Amino acid sequence: MKPVVPDVLGELAALILRNAHPDVSPSDRASALGLTAALLGLAAESWDGRVQHLVQENRAVWALLSEGSSLLGTAGPGHPANETDLRISGLELENARLRQALIDLQARLEITGGADARALNAQIWAELTQSTQRRLTASSPV
Amino acid sequence: MSQDLEPRLAAYLARRMPQASHLVVDRLQRISGGASRETYRFCLTWTEAEERRTRRLILRRDPPASLIDTERRIEFEAYRAFHGSAVPVPEMLWLEEGTGPLDHPFFIAEEISGYEAAPAVLWSEAYLPVHAALAERKWTILGQIARADPVALGLDKVMYQPAPAECWSRELGHWEAILDKDATEPLPIARAAIRWLKANPPPPPPRISVVHGDYRTGNFLFAPDGQIHGILDWEMAHLGDSLEDLGWSLNPVWSSGRGLAGGLVPEQDAVAIWSRSSGQPVDPAALHWWTLFNCIKGQAIWISSARVWMDGGNREPIMVYPPWALQNAQDRAILKVMGHL
Repeated sequence: MKPVVPDVLGELAALILRNAHPDVSPSDRASALGLTAALLGLAAESWDGRVQHLVQENRAVWALLSEGSSLLGTAGPGHPANETDLRISGLELENARLRQALIDLQARLEITGGADARALNAQIWAELTQSTQRRLTASSPV
Repeated sequence: MSQDLEPRLAAYLARRMPQASHLVVDRLQRISGGASRETYRFCLTWTEAEERRTRRLILRRDPPASLIDTERRIEFEAYRAFHGSAVPVPEMLWLEEGTGPLDHPFFIAEEISGYEAAPAVLWSEAYLPVHAALAERKWTILGQIARADPVALGLDKVMYQPAPAECWSRELGHWEAILDKDATEPLPIARAAIRWLKANPPPPPPRISVVHGDYRTGNFLFAPDGQIHGILDWEMAHLGDSLEDLGWSLNPVWSSGRGLAGGLVPEQDAVAIWSRSSGQPVDPAALHWWTLFNCIKGQAIWISSARVWMDGGNREPIMVYPPWALQNAQDRAILKVMGHL
């Protein structure tokens, strides 16, 4: 989630404090607090599963990149994700590195052609679909 | 805070209304939502020709940093072009492009009051029976926008007029550049969709049309009888392919999880209404392209919002809501339109 949750929660805390002042107009307060509530709800939804989902996704993308490097004869994705640091910020950094490499791989597969490339591309689409399932919120319109 | 604006707004209006005396601005109230403009309603009371008069008005002011960078003159002129036509819009009154009077550019318009805009209201029990009627009006009006002649409306003087063949590349290039500039993380789904869009361009439109740019549930004023009384938020208006607007209205993120176009009717019904009203047949492949394109446009808007917040340009919570609530949904919409979901 970008902006990252801790930064947003900090800003929301300050916003709630400002709205605790009696001079804030009711309409400004209603607008601020309504949105604050919605954002707190979204942050709460992501809380429990975020690390689990990032670890799952990083492993899945790393496996696809490894397969891609074998198929195309290119450099691999490097060492598997270092899972000794399970802070969300660390996992997200690794996630960004892997997903950027996945973009490059998929673009190459699209122009490579051939049954193996198409099969790997189908696996990538399946993983991308799964990635949106991991990030799904209860109020998602799609 | 809103209260500080009232005296400054009154001073500005006093200068713009030399015929008025005893001018009072009150009941200024910020309207929720609106990540690209601050929107307020207020009441203006004044004396003119020895008569006390009152009018309810809307102030739309640029925020310090916006979700969408647009020229307020273009929005102002788009509203003005359609005022009094079959496309219902509020009357535009004053445009101020300087920063002196209220710190940021703004315009003032009449308020069309007494109607609803919030999608949540649209899904309430009271409105379910009129969804078909609302859809008829919604896509009929969009067809009327498509049918309008931008030159006759004078909009070619304030909006760039693209050649038909460049409509798709101009729009895709614009929104891809925004993604390139503002992306907060790699976006494999959006990037794959962009590659597909570039490899499979749509045919040029038969003519250049006015494109509202944000025609969706939430941007029109509706009534319990299924009528629509105002089309709002023209800030992304431009000239181009009318299928662009139809495609935006069919973006799955506007379905509110109901699996219907705009949450109202099946997609083929919406397309049929639009086609009847615009007088244009719809090429399904071209519409598919524009619907997918609009998923990219949506993603660029949500991500820009995150970027503005992260860069400190605007720390309002409304800037966080689109990326948090819609970025993943927009990815799922891309997957759905491309047949992967």
